[in-house]
Amino acid sequence: MQSTKIRAITISISCLLIVSVVMGMGMGAVSISPLQIMAILVGKIGMNTSIQYSDVQESVLVAIRLPRVLLAVLIGSSLAISGAAMQGLFRNPLADPSLIGISSGASFAAVAAIVLGINSVGIITSVAGTYALSFVTFVGALITAVLVYRLSQSGGKTIITTMLLAGIAINSLAGAGTGLFTYAANDAQLRSITFWMLGSLGGATWSSVLGILPFTLLPVFVLPHYAKALNAFSLGEANAAHLGTNTERVKIIIVLLAALCVGASVAVAGIIGFVGLVVPHIIRLSIGPDNRYLLLLTPILGALLLVSADLAARTLFIPSELPIGIITSLIGAPFFLYMVVKELKTQKNF
Amino acid sequence: MLRVQNIQFRISPNLSLSNISFDVQAGEVVAILGANGAGKSTLLKIITGALKMNSGNVFINDLPISYWTSKELSKCTAVMQQQNQLQLPFTVCEVVMMGRYPHFKTKATLEDENIVACVLEKTGIQKLKDRNYLSLSGGEQQRVHLARVLAQISGKKNAEPRYLFMDEPSNNLDIRHQHSALNVAKEFAQEGNCVVAVLHDLNLALQYADKIILLKNGAMKGFGAVSTVMTNESLSDVYDLPLTIFYPPSGSHPMVIPFANNINNNELINN
Repeated sequence: MQSTKIRAITISISCLLIVSVVMGMGMGAVSISPLQIMAILVGKIGMNTSIQYSDVQESVLVAIRLPRVLLAVLIGSSLAISGAAMQGLFRNPLADPSLIGISSGASFAAVAAIVLGINSVGIITSVAGTYALSFVTFVGALITAVLVYRLSQSGGKTIITTMLLAGIAINSLAGAGTGLFTYAANDAQLRSITFWMLGSLGGATWSSVLGILPFTLLPVFVLPHYAKALNAFSLGEANAAHLGTNTERVKIIIVLLAALCVGASVAVAGIIGFVGLVVPHIIRLSIGPDNRYLLLLTPILGALLLVSADLAARTLFIPSELPIGIITSLIGAPFFLYMVVKELKTQKNF
Repeated sequence: MLRVQNIQFRISPNLSLSNISFDVQAGEVVAILGANGAGKSTLLKIITGALKMNSGNVFINDLPISYWTSKELSKCTAVMQQQNQLQLPFTVCEVVMMGRYPHFKTKATLEDENIVACVLEKTGIQKLKDRNYLSLSGGEQQRVHLARVLAQISGKKNAEPRYLFMDEPSNNLDIRHQHSALNVAKEFAQEGNCVVAVLHDLNLALQYADKIILLKNGAMKGFGAVSTVMTNESLSDVYDLPLTIFYPPSGSHPMVIPFANNINNNELINN
């Protein structure tokens, strides 16, 4: 029964994802019908159809919409799965990369790198530049993830208060550091710094898509293999070890992969908060906390959420565009408050 | 069998163990007794491999514990801890199935399902099986973990015994479930396995244990059969409290009463 339900949910959110991707490619200042989208894409691989489309439609789709939608898919799925994995590691549903400071650690690293000159050759626009920046943000994400994890663990138990407070401290520390760097920044650098602080998919290009492709796909495909280990982890580290889990290896791999996802997505889109909190929680509400299904479904729903949120960000107030971080925070923050209240009720060590 | 030779362990003056040696034969229930802070849980952590000792040996089925991979060890030993930190809304059935994780790769087999059903029955929680673990009372949660560790080491039997280690299994349980938990452990031992349990309740130890390990300040004050190790003198010394063992005239097993000398109730003594 459970497995039929899971299959039904998988199929329906996958269909919704396809619909949202098609809408994301078709809607906007230049509208492109689903058939025209198909015709353009098929035309790109050398097959001609009888469906008419203009050159403007073709270039908007290929150069702007397609990379942007793909970027939303990659970032949404990887942020969602890294949230789910972090929550498994911390044994708590509130551990979201943006709340506990991992995203701001990554964005601080990005800003530092830009001001200190990684961008002096204008490399962010190239695939190699995205790689380099992704690496820097990965290091920033990794350091903060390890720091928060160390701080919040005590006797094999996660102290949730410490975890969230450490997140607040790191968020403001990274904010202050970023603020300091803005004084050293020139005009062009300032513009890209604001971009990181707000979070946007507006800078999507093929090179940013290709630049984060390996760093986001790897975690999405590798993390589900650790589902059983993460389930065992929910019993506490010692119990997980007694169930045959190599806890040290699991911790290292989860932190590395989650930092990789977060780092890569911050590198090209800045801080997009709450995706890693909201998406796993919705999945848990519908199918329960089993990571074997959670880690398969979160990437799909994460992609769906971010593609839809980006569509809203682009089309709600045409011609101006909202930063996508605003949309996800509008959905996520109330959600987070609700979860905190719920957590208070069920948990004694809060 | 489990053989412990000359364990030395020291991380602070307050937390050390010295010269601990004992062995547990197949079929035995061994209780570790001692006051708070005597080193009972530390000893259990060392013999289950969760803590590294400074020197000494622990052999499980004649192999030193350092030779075991955690994967192999988890197939024949299970540890029930004093406290559990599950904070996610798994169902009871899912938690118990985690006990079978060492035995299957990604999907539970029919055998795993059968074992889970069997231990749910044994521990009397089959009615709770679809409940959310977080909605259960502390005692019910404790029974879920008992079922989980039993599931881990149940199943097709080979010649070697399996090992159940329990730290305070009677925590949070009412008197009926304390006895049913220890009954389950006793039955498990009698199937040719070993049970080592840290116990606070001396009466439970008197009733269910075959052998006793007495600890005081990290040192072993006695090891052997219940009747030889649990005496008025040894217990009073270990717990720093005058304790007397009574043999109720019509009872099947003895019990421990504190301050009996002060009460001086001669009617009760009658042994």
